[in-house]
This record gives sequence, structure tokens and C-alpha cells, in this order.
Amino acid sequence: MKIIIKKIAVAFLFVMLFNSCSSELDTKPVVEQSFENLLLQDPNAAKGLLSRMYATFALTGSNGPGSSDIVTNDAGESGFLRGIINLQDLTTDNVKNRWGDDGLDQLTTTSNWTQNNKFFRYLFDRVYYTVPQTTNLIIALQNTNVSEKAQYISELRFLRSLAYYYMIDCFGKGVLVTTENYGTISPLPEASRTDLFDYVESELLAIENDLPFSNEYGRANKSACRMLLAKLYLNAEVYTGVSRYNDALIYSNKVITEGGFSLAPNYLQNFTADNNTSPEIIFPLIADALTSQSYGNTTYLVNASMNADTMPISLFGATDGWGGNRATKAWYGLFGDLDTSTDARAQLFWRAGHTYEMTDYKTWTNGYPSTKFRNSMFTGTSSPTSFSSTDFPMFRLADAYLIYAESVLRGATSGSSSQALSYVNELRARSNASSISQSQLTLDFILDERGRELNMEGQRRTDLIRFGKFTGGDYLWPWKGNSLNGVSIPDTYKVFPLPLSALDSNPNLTQNTGY
Amino acid sequence: MKTIYKKLLFLFLILPISAVFSQTSLSGTVLDASVNQPLPGVNVIVQGANNSTTTDFDGKFQLNGLKNGDVIVVSYIGYQSESIKFSGQKEIKVQLKEDLTQLQEVVVQVGYGSVKKKDATGSVSVVTDKDFNKGAILSADQLLVGKATGIRITNDGGAPDSAPNIRIRGISSLNAEASPLLVIDNVPIDNRLAAGQGNPLSLINPNDIESFTILKDASATAIYGSRASNGVIIITTKKGTSGVPKYTYSSTFSFGKVNNLIDVRDGNSFAQFITEKYPEHIAKLGIADPNNPGQRILYNTDWQSEIFRNTISQDHNFSARASIFNGVPFRASVGFNNTQGVVITNDYRRVSAGVKVTPTFFDGHLKVDVNAKGFSSRKNSVDSGGAIGAALNMDPTKPVYGSSPNNRFEGYYQQVSDPTDGNWDGSYRIQGQLNPVALLKQRERPESIDKFLGNIEFDYKMHFLPELRAVVNLGIESSKSYIREIYAENALQTYKIDGTTSVAPDSYVFNPGLNYKERQTIDNKTFDAYLVYTKKLSGFMSRVEMQGGHNFQSFVNQGVKDNYIYDITTGVRELNVNPQNPNNRYFGKMTLESYFGRANVDFLDKYLLTMTLRADASSLFPSDRRWGYFPAAGLAWKMKEESFLKNIESINDLKLRVGYGVTGNSDIRSQGYYPYTALFSPGNQNGQYLPGVNIYSANAFNPNLTWEKSATTNIGIDFDLFKNGFLSGSVDAYIRKTTDLLATVQFPPGQFLTNQFVSNAAAITNKGIELSLTAKLYSSDDMNWSVSGNMSYNKGKVDEVNGATRIAASGGGLPGIGRTLSYHAIGEQPQSAWVFEQVYDNAGQPIPNVFVDRNGDGSINDDDKYYVALVPNWNFGFSTTFNYKKFDLNASFRGQLGGNVYNSVKYQYGWEQKVVPNISQNLNNNLNGNLPFVTIAENSVVSDYFLEDATFLRCESLSIGYMFDKLFKSATLRLYVGANNLFLITKYSGQDPENFNGIDTNFYPRPRVFNTGVTIDF
Repeated sequence: MKIIIKKIAVAFLFVMLFNSCSSELDTKPVVEQSFENLLLQDPNAAKGLLSRMYATFALTGSNGPGSSDIVTNDAGESGFLRGIINLQDLTTDNVKNRWGDDGLDQLTTTSNWTQNNKFFRYLFDRVYYTVPQTTNLIIALQNTNVSEKAQYISELRFLRSLAYYYMIDCFGKGVLVTTENYGTISPLPEASRTDLFDYVESELLAIENDLPFSNEYGRANKSACRMLLAKLYLNAEVYTGVSRYNDALIYSNKVITEGGFSLAPNYLQNFTADNNTSPEIIFPLIADALTSQSYGNTTYLVNASMNADTMPISLFGATDGWGGNRATKAWYGLFGDLDTSTDARAQLFWRAGHTYEMTDYKTWTNGYPSTKFRNSMFTGTSSPTSFSSTDFPMFRLADAYLIYAESVLRGATSGSSSQALSYVNELRARSNASSISQSQLTLDFILDERGRELNMEGQRRTDLIRFGKFTGGDYLWPWKGNSLNGVSIPDTYKVFPLPLSALDSNPNLTQNTGY
Repeated sequence: MKTIYKKLLFLFLILPISAVFSQTSLSGTVLDASVNQPLPGVNVIVQGANNSTTTDFDGKFQLNGLKNGDVIVVSYIGYQSESIKFSGQKEIKVQLKEDLTQLQEVVVQVGYGSVKKKDATGSVSVVTDKDFNKGAILSADQLLVGKATGIRITNDGGAPDSAPNIRIRGISSLNAEASPLLVIDNVPIDNRLAAGQGNPLSLINPNDIESFTILKDASATAIYGSRASNGVIIITTKKGTSGVPKYTYSSTFSFGKVNNLIDVRDGNSFAQFITEKYPEHIAKLGIADPNNPGQRILYNTDWQSEIFRNTISQDHNFSARASIFNGVPFRASVGFNNTQGVVITNDYRRVSAGVKVTPTFFDGHLKVDVNAKGFSSRKNSVDSGGAIGAALNMDPTKPVYGSSPNNRFEGYYQQVSDPTDGNWDGSYRIQGQLNPVALLKQRERPESIDKFLGNIEFDYKMHFLPELRAVVNLGIESSKSYIREIYAENALQTYKIDGTTSVAPDSYVFNPGLNYKERQTIDNKTFDAYLVYTKKLSGFMSRVEMQGGHNFQSFVNQGVKDNYIYDITTGVRELNVNPQNPNNRYFGKMTLESYFGRANVDFLDKYLLTMTLRADASSLFPSDRRWGYFPAAGLAWKMKEESFLKNIESINDLKLRVGYGVTGNSDIRSQGYYPYTALFSPGNQNGQYLPGVNIYSANAFNPNLTWEKSATTNIGIDFDLFKNGFLSGSVDAYIRKTTDLLATVQFPPGQFLTNQFVSNAAAITNKGIELSLTAKLYSSDDMNWSVSGNMSYNKGKVDEVNGATRIAASGGGLPGIGRTLSYHAIGEQPQSAWVFEQVYDNAGQPIPNVFVDRNGDGSINDDDKYYVALVPNWNFGFSTTFNYKKFDLNASFRGQLGGNVYNSVKYQYGWEQKVVPNISQNLNNNLNGNLPFVTIAENSVVSDYFLEDATFLRCESLSIGYMFDKLFKSATLRLYVGANNLFLITKYSGQDPENFNGIDTNFYPRPRVFNTGVTIDF
């Protein structure tokens, strides 16, 4: 028996001679790269990674319009900017959509909001794509000798704060992922609106001095940081219960006086394919018909308001009209009689073939489509493309003017009401609208002026909530609460429900009250 | 791998070439008594002595060391044993008679070896060629469907190359590969499909298959450890012969047709519906009459009939079995198949060739098994879902072909904004639904694959220790795919606006020619080396077999793609070159390495114990989590051998099996080949942002990935009862707990690089019972009639999903709208629909948007939803074979009891407003009859109204044949006619309830096929 065992052992050893494959288990990719290799291979790689993080707000993915950074059924629909517009403008008085996609009617009619609505999920998931991605890159850059890493990290912290701003504003709670706790596997605790507010404030204050006054186009500068602070402070009472209008004024004033920006001579210059030349835009989201294609950036803003059935869409630089969004009388009514209004902003609606009233929001010809965002040049020349080249003015000087004015009216002490009036009249004069007097400058006027100036720029819902007019029955607009003339909606609607997928994956998160 | 080949060569060189001589020897030949053909593999043993051999492929054997008076027993499966007394003969000839009672004896492949079925300790089903489904068979899975317990094959539909979706004993993998491991002639093949391949089993000629062995419980599958979590199907091909050459030619012609179309409105009822319900849209019906301005011509087009066709398909095979080089068994076959899909232009063609050579050397000490199979297939891949959806949606008052002088599309009608068409907006934009016939005919997408599958196995019985065998097996699976997509002149889909002119009317360009190209190469290699030590003993321990070895596999998948885009200004299509990755190259490599050992110990010839241990490593996991250990044990008790049963005549055989084991799964290549590594990918040229730099993305990864593990406990009984095996079969019951399931889950927000990725996050328990029965109802010289059937019950339960209450099931999304229907929810069966309970009016019609407040809290929200399992718990199949003289009849039926299917056709087309144009001027068709919904609101989408019972019974195949024998010399000819999918019995109101994801949308119909054919043996 011993001999047999020996023989078996010899044979076994022999067979095992073949086994030298363990090293083969460390397979290496060929197309994809490790961080270290990437930095070695491309001297601009760090900036390419930074570029990628800016792009998270404009592009749905980095492999063209069909790609998506988050797992979703429809890449184009899930874009960050598109989510902002859908949640901030479609839900309000200014614009209605008629597609009736699952969940979109509920936004348009401000009714039946549930945790299953995919549009809430899109924005939520976009925030929580940008947050960990920027954090991951901050951590990775810290250990490199990339020469510009300090500024890159400051810019990344700005982008992370900008993403969090939408969590504060739209959902009112979330989780706080930071450079320090990133990598935690177990679900993080819920962060309150105030927690998030405090974090974003502290981050922005920490980087304010590091960001340059002037940066490459498309990248964050000092004024972008201050603008975000100003918006945070302006809404602080809503977000935290403590008003910070003084701070809102201080930071808007810094933007106005130190930023070096000036109003574009013509309002429309901020919304055309060549708006990158506008001196007014503090922080844009870049779009390019060829190199930055997305169904989630201004391509959505332009195409969804176009329809070849009633409009010469080529003149607006579009090749595809999606026929979705039309303004309501709650927007164009702000200009009075459109036939006689001298306001340049009143001319940016397509009226031929459309009715003033929107008796059926699903009928394209009900309501006037807004032509504010367009893919043609300011001069009117147009070479139509499938995707838009118009950049999105995320922050522009006009908003800073209006924040200043509103803060004064809300009791900020360090500004003056004459300066406030002067800023508002500057805006109006630019658009050939009549000047107003000091007595006409009321909070209600500010809200209307913000509508005239900033509608479709992703601000309206925040404004209406701050003015106490979003929920309840004080202010009604067409189709509010799924009723033609509008009905009261509950205060629950001041924040969106957290998506079911988030509640399912982090048991520490609780649903907003009322959903 | 190069080094491995070198080592193999070395093994050859040092093979000891020695012979053992002895004093008294006997040589002999064993023949089949009825046909006088040699029988290979016959056991020849000297009774009471440790001396035995088996016959070679010429039926010859040699025994040494005999002494007078020795009794030599010659035995072979399926034959009556013969005993011969040795009295100094030099040479003998033994003729064995078939043993009718033993014909059931089947050899079971168990992985790295085989056993007689009666000695198998695990839960194993064997399906051999006589049991296969007959008729028009294109792929191997069609032979097997409905034939074995515990295996559910639900193909994606009636396309010639449609994916078979094989699940053994329910769902136990979520996002890792859930199909069983497929082993063809000892080469585990890749479940991941080559580009252009729809079905991993379409690239083996079904006519070459001799048997399927299905390993179900872990004690059987554990030897394949790493990849066996979802069971194993071992396919064995037919072997050569050492006798006179035999040739077989077979040929089948088949004729297919779609059984039933979806009941959308025809032209007349559509026009009537529009007139009654939406009179404001009447002017959009039909097309403008060129001769009578202002008038419309209404057509009556059945768009479904326009895209479906009656098919003619053919299959031809020729095989030769012979011996070459003086007695080396050899089989070669060639096959040709040309199958037409029922969707027009969906043609499939396959040429296949296979060779099997099984020589032996060194006096039978070295057995070599060489298999080489080559396939070449080419199909025109159609976007069937798109075309079927288009056919259902398209306005039936529109014509297929347009005669307008403004027609721009090679005569295919397409609604465009047109000066003759009433509502010209100054452009010639395409409006509405694209013509489905043009979609199919104006695009060609030839996908071709050339594939080689081969192996060479050396099985060497040591000269110095005959009980010890060394086996080395080298396998290669390699393929080359080539895909192109080409548009015709004037194709609808290439009609693009030319933006260089900015005044109306816009001008347009067509872009015929290449739109996509891909080349892919797959090189998979398998290398096994193992030792087997077998010893028959006397005493309590009657036999020992020990086995140990090593396995290495590598999978390399790489290719390049040419993508095209349309120039944003000129509308001209051009090659889209990404400077960061100019050829859009992709590359992935996975390797698996394993050590395995198995011990079979038989006690008193009636208690059979099998123990297995396998250690596996996968390159898909990080090195510290890479190794998984998979133990298993099985015990069989051959009760018939016990004295208390031995003399009971009505029991021919009875065996009890108990087994337990753990198996694994690592195949998450759907998430990439490097899922645990932090990697960065360049963006493409349309996904850039800041000017002057290339964008790079940090890819999602999970550094904590490890093995998914399944632990199965199985108990089973095999029985063979009454005279002549009147009733035989087996019963199995099992519990399988799968833990650390690799599932795509929603991560806690913000804590990973993206929202969803794969994680070891779920657990599922499957419990089931399986029964298979064969009854030989009548058997005589002239007439035989047998019936066999199988029934399986499996119920899964989700135990854990990522700490949450539910995760979305893959494939559980409803078409178009991003709404998830099916979930894996705690306590529920996997893949359950989460739905509202519909409220109905007195007439039985659903009341739109009214649901039962199931929790009674006064409001309708998610808390009122409940779960309905989509996957059926019961699957069954039964078949009958009847022979009378030269007639034969085979019929196979199968079906499922329970399960639900979401009738997405009702949801997509079953509401009134569906007809109204959304953008532009087109009308859409909808379902016929009075529809319960005007529009389908958010919650109604997930109403249980759309769920229907998926119970069905299908006649899978039926054939009647007649055998002409002695046609010339010994040649026979069998002529047959038959049908596949002859009928379907179901209460389902849609087309076909058999649906893998349980969501019936744009389904490629399974055609009814009539076939006729001939098989000639000579």
C-alpha cells in the first residue's frame, strides 16, 4: 500500500506541475486605465477629470447623448439640468408640459406626487452621483503632485456644494457624504436640511478665498461661489427657519461690485447659441452641438419648446421639435398685453397658431411656447443642429441684482433701497420696460420681476416657496393641483418626496412628511 | 497557456512505453449477438481474482495471468452477462444478447468522469436522443425543452436564434449569470454570447447530440464548483464505431406560420372609431387623393400581415461512422440549416461540421478523445421588437407603398409633411410612426460567426499502476464575429435634414450604406489535469475511487467597432472617430482556476458515498476574496441490494439518494471584466466638456465582491417497478439556499460612485419537488407504447435584499416609461409584480384609477400594493412514443401551471387616446373593441388588471413516421411528417403566455411549424 501511495503522490505532483496559473488570475484591462497610469499617460488628465465633474451637471454621460452616469431607463431624461428645469419650472406657474410620460403630468399639474415618480429620483440620483464622484476625485488628487491640485480641489468642493444645494432646496434632507466619511459602506445617517445647509455654507466660505476672480470659461470663479452663498442665505429662512438676508445682501453685493460682470446689452444675448460671449454670465453649463451632446442640457430647453407643426423651428436653430413645453398666462400675463408691451422679454413667446388660455395642457396649441432659449445666434443667423450649442446661465448678474433688491426689501441693513431700485430699473431698462418708482418696488413686484427675468432658468419653485405662494390657495395658476384654474395644494409640496429607491437602500432615511 | 502546451508535450515524451507479459493469456472478441457487431467497452473480469479488462473499440480484449478453471465474466450495460470457464483457450468469441430488462441502464456524465445511472449519488436527469423533441429543430435547447424535471427553458420568442433562458430549479442568481453551466464534450462553454449570437446552443448541430445530462443538486454539480451554482448541462455528442461504416443522411423541410395576430383595429373599424370618438382628427385618416383635392383615400392595411410571412426552412445532415487506420473509431458529420424567421428578412443560415476520433494506444492504456466542431452562421438580424411595435401602432388606413409623386422612400409610404397632404408646414419632415415594412426592408444587418469548439483528452492508465489514471484535457472555444449594418438607398432612417440651408422648405439628404461595423474575437481555453485512482476491494468497503486535479480556464473577449454619426449641420453620416479610442476597442479577460478532489467509496456494493471538494478562484474578485471553497457529499443506498427487497420481483431497482453541497457563481461579466478595480475610461468625442482636455470618467466598482454561494440539500428516490420495467422514474425534493447573491442594487445614496452596482447583497431560498415517470404501457415484438412525463414544483423566496425590503428585478421594467413592475422583495418569490388591486364595475370592466384600499387607511398609495409572482411554480412535460410494426408516433407536450404574465399589449394599445397624435399629424392604432381606459394614469400602469394567469399547455412536437427497411442491402429509410408548436391551450387573452420576464411586449411570435423529412441509414 505504501508503494501505491508513493506512486500516487508522484503522479499527483506531476499533474500539479501544470499549475502555475495563479498569476493569470490578476487580469489587466487594456482600454481602461488606473489613476496612476492615467496621470502618467496624459499630462492633462487631472484637468480632464475635473472637466468630467463640471460635465455632471450638463451631460448625462461621457459617451454621448445615449450614455448615462446613473443607472436609468432613459439617459436623456435623467440629466441634472433637465431635472432642475423639470422640478423647478414645470411644477410652477410658468411652463407646462404635455407629453404625459409617467410622472410628468404630476409635475405639470402639481398633484399626486409620490415616491415612485421617476423625475424626483433622477434629480436625487444626479446629486448623489456628483457628490461621491467629486469627493472621490478630491481624495485621489490629494495624494498626487498635480501642480494645480489646490485650485482643482476648491472647484470640486464648489461643485459638490452646488449639487448639495439642490438636495437642500428640493428634498429638504439627505445624507451628508464628505471627504472625511467617504468610503463608509454602512448606510450613513440622515442629514437634516440644517445639517446640509451648515455644511454647504462652511464649504463655500472655506473656498471663497481660494477661488480666483476670473477663471477659464465654464469653471467656477469666486463670484460663482458667492452667488451660491447668496442664494443659500436668501432662502435660509425656508431652509433653516433663520433668516439671513443681511448675508444674502453682502454676498450679492460682492458679486455685483467685485466680480467684474456687467449686464449684457440685450437680454436675449444670455440665451442664444453664442451666449458664451455674454458679459453677464457668472457660471454657465456648457453645451456644444458637437462635442457636448446631451438630451439633458439646453437641448431639452430648446427642443421641448419647439414644434414644427406651428413654428419654423429651423429659425431657432433646431432640427427637432419635441413639442412639449409651453408657457402659461401666469408667465406671459406678467407683461400685460403682449401686443403692446415694449418689454423685450415679452417678445420671446411664439403666439401664431396658439391660444392664450391653456384649457387643455395636453394640447400643443394651448399656451405660447417660450422662445427664450434658442440655438440660433443672437444676430438671428441659424444653422440648425440636433443638439444645442447654447450654454445654460446657471448664475448670471441679473439674479444678483434681484437678490440685492429683495434682501433690502426683506430688511437687510447694509444695503440701500435706492440702490435696490436702481438695480431693478437697470434690468428693466435693458429690456426696454418702463422704469418703476421706489413705491412700486415691493416684494410682490420682485416676485413678478423675477418671473419676467428668470423664468425657465430653474428658479421659479424656490422663489414661489420663499414668497409663500407655492402651496396653499393664495396664489393659483393654470393647472395647479390638476385643475384648470388652479386649486390649493398642501404644504407637503414644499419639498419633494424622497425616491423609493433611496429609502430602500438607506434605512436611515425617512420620507418627507405627507408622502 | 504556452507553457502549458510545453508541459503537455513533456508528458507525452516521458510516457512509459512498457508492456507487461505473462504466462497464460487469452484474447477474445465480444460481439452483439443480434447484429454481429463488435462491442467496445465491455467489462471482462476474472471472477474472484483481481484481474479485469475492458474491450477495445473492435470488441477485442486480452487477459493475462489466467489459470485453468478461472471463470471469466463478460458483462455490458444493456446485455445479459456471459460466463466462460477458462481451460487454456487462446482465443474466444463471445456473443452477448440484449437484456430487455436492463435497457434503462444509462451512463451519466458526472463531470471529470461518468457513472452508471444506477450508481449515481446525485440528482441527475438524462435525456437521450430517443427522447428528444422531433421535427424542425434548430438549436440544442429545442431538443430538451419539456423533457426533464427541474429545468425550465423559456426562449425569448420565435426568432431563429432566440435566447433559450434556461433555469434549473428556479431563480437563484439575480445579476450574475443565471444560466446553467454548459459542457459540450468536456469543454465548459461560455454562457456569454459572442457578438451576433442569440443562443449559446445554436452553434452545435442538434443532430450530433447523443445525450444531455442535467446535474441539479450540489452533490452532483460540486465537482464543477465555481460555475455550477445554477446547475450543469453536459452535452455528449455521438461517437464513432469500429465496425462496418455506417452513414446517415437526414433532411427536414418545415413550413412555419404565425398562429394568431394581435387584435388591433383594421382600416374600417379604425376609421369608424376616429369618426365617433375623435372627429377632429378625421382629416388625418388615409392619404390625400391626388386626383380629388381635399379628398382622402382610406386604405385597409393589416400591418402585422405585412411584416410576418409564411416560412420555408430546411435542414440537411450527413454523418458517417466508421473506423479509420485499422480500428480507430471515427465519426464525422456535416450539416446545413436554413431557417426563415416569421418576421420578413429575418433569415438564418448555418453550416456545421464535426469530427470525433477516439483512438487508443499502448494496449488500451492510453485513450484519446478528439473532438473538433466548426460552425459558421449568418443571419440577418432584424429589430423585430421595433418592427412589431411599429406594425401594431401604425394607422391601418395608410398604405404600405406610396404612389405620391413626392414619395422619397423607394416607394414605401411614409407620412411626411407634404404639400399635397393638407397640412404642409413648409418642410418635408417625417411624421409619426415609421413604416414597419420599410424599417425591415431598408436595413440589412448581416451578423456572421465562425466558431470552433474542440478538445483533446488523454486518458492514460498507468502501466506501473493500472488502478491509476491520469487525464489531461485541453479545450478551445474560439469564435470570430463580424457584424455590419447597412442601409438601402432612400432609407427612412437615414433621411436627415441638411442644415446648411436655413430657409424653408428644408432640404434633406439620404445616407445609404454602412451604419455600423463590429468585429469580435473570443478565445476561451480550458485545461484540466487530474488523476483517478480506482480500486475494487472485497469486504465492507467494496470499491474506492479517488480523484484529484486542477483546472484552468481563460476567457478573452475583444473587438473593435465602427460607429457612425450624422453630421450635425449637413446631415451626412460619417465615421465617428474617438481620438481617445479610435477603433472603439474593447477587451476583457477573465480567468478561473480550480483544484478539485472527489472520493467515491462503495460499502458492500450498496451504500455509495461521494465526497467532493473544490477550491475556485476567479479573476473577477479581488485577490483577498478570490478563493471560494465548495464541499459536497452524496450518499446513495441501493435498497434493491438489501436482502429484504432482493427477492421482490415487482421491484427491479430502488435507490435512495441524499446529498448536500455548496456551489458558487462568480460570473458578473455583465458588469465588466474588472468590477472590483478603480478604473478610468475616456469619454467619446460627443461627451467632452471643457475645451482642450480629454474627459475621463471614474468607473463604478465594488472592492468587496466575492463568491455567490448556493447550498443545496437534496433527497431523492430512483425506482424501476414491475415486469419489464413497466414503471420507472424518480422523485426528488430539495432546498437550495443561495447567499451573498451578486445583485445589482441601489447603493446607499452618495456612498458609491454611482447609484446602482453589483454587490453580494441578496439571499434566496428555493424549495421544490420533482417527479419523473416512464410507463411502458405495452411492449411486444410488433408494438410498443410508452408514456413518460415529468413535473416540477419550485418555489423561491427572497430572504434578503441589500438590507432593504425590495430591489428592482432586472428585466422587470415596463416598456418605455421607466416604471418597474417586478421586484425581488423580502418574503416574496423572486421576480414578483408589485401591483394595485383593480376595482371593477358591475359589468366586470375595470374602473380607471380606482383600486382596493388594501390596508384600509383611506388613501391609495404604495402601501396598498401587493405582490404577484410572475414565474410559475409548476412546470410539466409529457410525451408518448408508439411503435406498431414500421409505424412510429411521437408526441411531446409541455406547459406550466400558474405564473402570471403582464399583458403589456393591453397597456400600450388598450386605451382610446392612444390614437391621438402626440407630436405632429400621425394617428396611432389601438386595440379593437370597447376599451376600458381613455388614458392610462400613473397608478393604473401597475394595476393587477394587466396581470393574467400564464398557465398553458403546448404541443411541442408531434411526428408520425414510417420505416422502409431493406431498401437496398441493409439500408433503412424513415419518412415522417410532423408539427412543432401545433397548438397552445391557455386562458391568456394575449398571444402567448410563455414569457421569460413575464412582460408581454412586442413579442416575436412562436410560429406553428409543419415539417416533413426523411432519414436514411446505410
